[in-house]
Amino acid sequence: MPAYRLIVATAAGAAAALLVSACSSSAADTNSSAGKVVAVGAENEYADVISQIGGKYVTVSAIESNPNTDPHTFEASPSVAAVVSAAQLIVQNGIGYDTYMNKIESASPSSSRKVIDVQQLEHLPNSTPNPHLWYKPTTMPAVAKAVADDLSVLRPKDAAYFKANVTKFDNSLKPWLAAIAAFKAAYAGTPVAVTEPVGDYMLQAVGADIKTPFGLQADIMNGVDPSPQYVSLEDSLFAKHEVKVFVYNQQVTDSLTASFLATAKQYGIPVVGVYETMPVPGYNYQSWMLAEVNALRKAVADKVSTERLVP
Amino acid sequence: MTVFAPGFFASSPVHVALVIGGISAVVCGLVGTFTVLRGQSYAGHALGDLAVTGGSASFLANVSPLWGFAGIGVIAAGIMDMIGIRRPRGRDLATGIVRGAGLGLAALFLYWDTTSSSTTGVSITILFGSMFTTSTSVVPVVLAFGLPAVAIVAILFRPLLLSSVSPELAAVRGVRVRLTGLACLLAIALAVSLSAITVGAILSTALLIGPAAIALRVTNTPGRAMVTAALVGLGATWIGIVLAYDSFYWPPSHDGWPVSFFIVALIFFSFLVSQLFGRRPGRVIRAEG
Repeated sequence: MPAYRLIVATAAGAAAALLVSACSSSAADTNSSAGKVVAVGAENEYADVISQIGGKYVTVSAIESNPNTDPHTFEASPSVAAVVSAAQLIVQNGIGYDTYMNKIESASPSSSRKVIDVQQLEHLPNSTPNPHLWYKPTTMPAVAKAVADDLSVLRPKDAAYFKANVTKFDNSLKPWLAAIAAFKAAYAGTPVAVTEPVGDYMLQAVGADIKTPFGLQADIMNGVDPSPQYVSLEDSLFAKHEVKVFVYNQQVTDSLTASFLATAKQYGIPVVGVYETMPVPGYNYQSWMLAEVNALRKAVADKVSTERLVP
Repeated sequence: MTVFAPGFFASSPVHVALVIGGISAVVCGLVGTFTVLRGQSYAGHALGDLAVTGGSASFLANVSPLWGFAGIGVIAAGIMDMIGIRRPRGRDLATGIVRGAGLGLAALFLYWDTTSSSTTGVSITILFGSMFTTSTSVVPVVLAFGLPAVAIVAILFRPLLLSSVSPELAAVRGVRVRLTGLACLLAIALAVSLSAITVGAILSTALLIGPAAIALRVTNTPGRAMVTAALVGLGATWIGIVLAYDSFYWPPSHDGWPVSFFIVALIFFSFLVSQLFGRRPGRVIRAEG
């Protein structure tokens, strides 16, 4: 995370913290009166999993769900601080992706609040280069289980219900995992280009060969200018047809990614759109992930683009 | 290590940078000489800061930041003229107030940029420039803003010079001092917008006044100073682009250093050298704008 963004995040966190003290009590009162566990997912894919596990016993809100904005540059507002500070269960990504959550949580300490930090859950170091953990097939089953464990502490008598939902969730992931295995069997080693690393864990899972250097991906993710060498290299991947698919992050875009998109189309490279947050409406986590793998398959097998999963 | 790292001349991002940076440097050198002569460096700096406002607004409108840089510059130049940039005593105050208000708006626009649409890297692009990622479609716009700026200083060369040295004398000789001043301010605003797309809004004064200050040290006529400033700016920009390209192979990240750093550093060191070894130390032509 670049320094200027840290400063922005710190300032936003501090401002939010000031306002939390004024807002939190009223928010907590109204929410707890419904008798459900108040939960928050920092990104809407985590909120979706909480909701699938908690079912009728939770009210879940997501902080980041706008498919047209870049979560990397998200700035927390006082209303976000109010929602987070009132939550009893929180799931956040970690690895510097949603640092504002930690700031708000420490500004409104609560001994009973459960926080699932997916980075810690998966024992990943802070130096993990790719923060987009939700594209990794092993991530969400672990999150689902951790959510069920914490909900069972908050509502012990409904533990069996939560456990059943975890089983249901794990089963519902099978079509996606099967699609990954099928793609890998048929098309392992397929060369692909990307803009930034959002879908890399999925691409690695399906055995794709990511030709875009990670330095360029990191530059685009962090919003700094890449060197001209990287720009030329990416352009030549398309011009020389060295890749079969261009995996395009629809939420981390700038004039450079737009020019890559135009070049890819010019040379007839199929495009697959990937997302930082779950595209809504129309998807839950598992149908979103399945749609991404199906889109990849359509691109490789039929040379058909799926630029966007939502209009 | 070779001067031109492999692929330099074949790289299309480099071509665009050489063209855009080259035009901007020449325009800034020509206009910047008058900026320094007229003692309007602070106005030039303020216009650069205000370019942040225009740049962040242009991202909201989804157009090249150059439109915002130039648009806000022209508006700000008009406001500064209206509220008294001509009077030496009110000048810094008028400039400072417009600059403060503009940067406040920039804060709002940047917040809207990042919360309402996907504008990754918007701050870096506006503040420090993104020459290597600029589209070729911007080149005609660069020319469209650069040519009028050069035309203004070329056509108004004599009256501008006279009113820079002595507004009273110029007025007696029939020069419309205020109109000339406004035209010059517009030329500065356009030059700053080009500088902003080259090295970024925050650094744009460096390219505007740096080469001009160096040129005024080492030459003795305004005409020669303008040509020298254009050449110094062009040299710093093109060498900066070569170094930025080469820096891909340098530590720490083997990822390249920002081109705006090299350009501004080259200008700064050239200025230091011109201060130490300039032919006419201490004799900068000054005007009581």
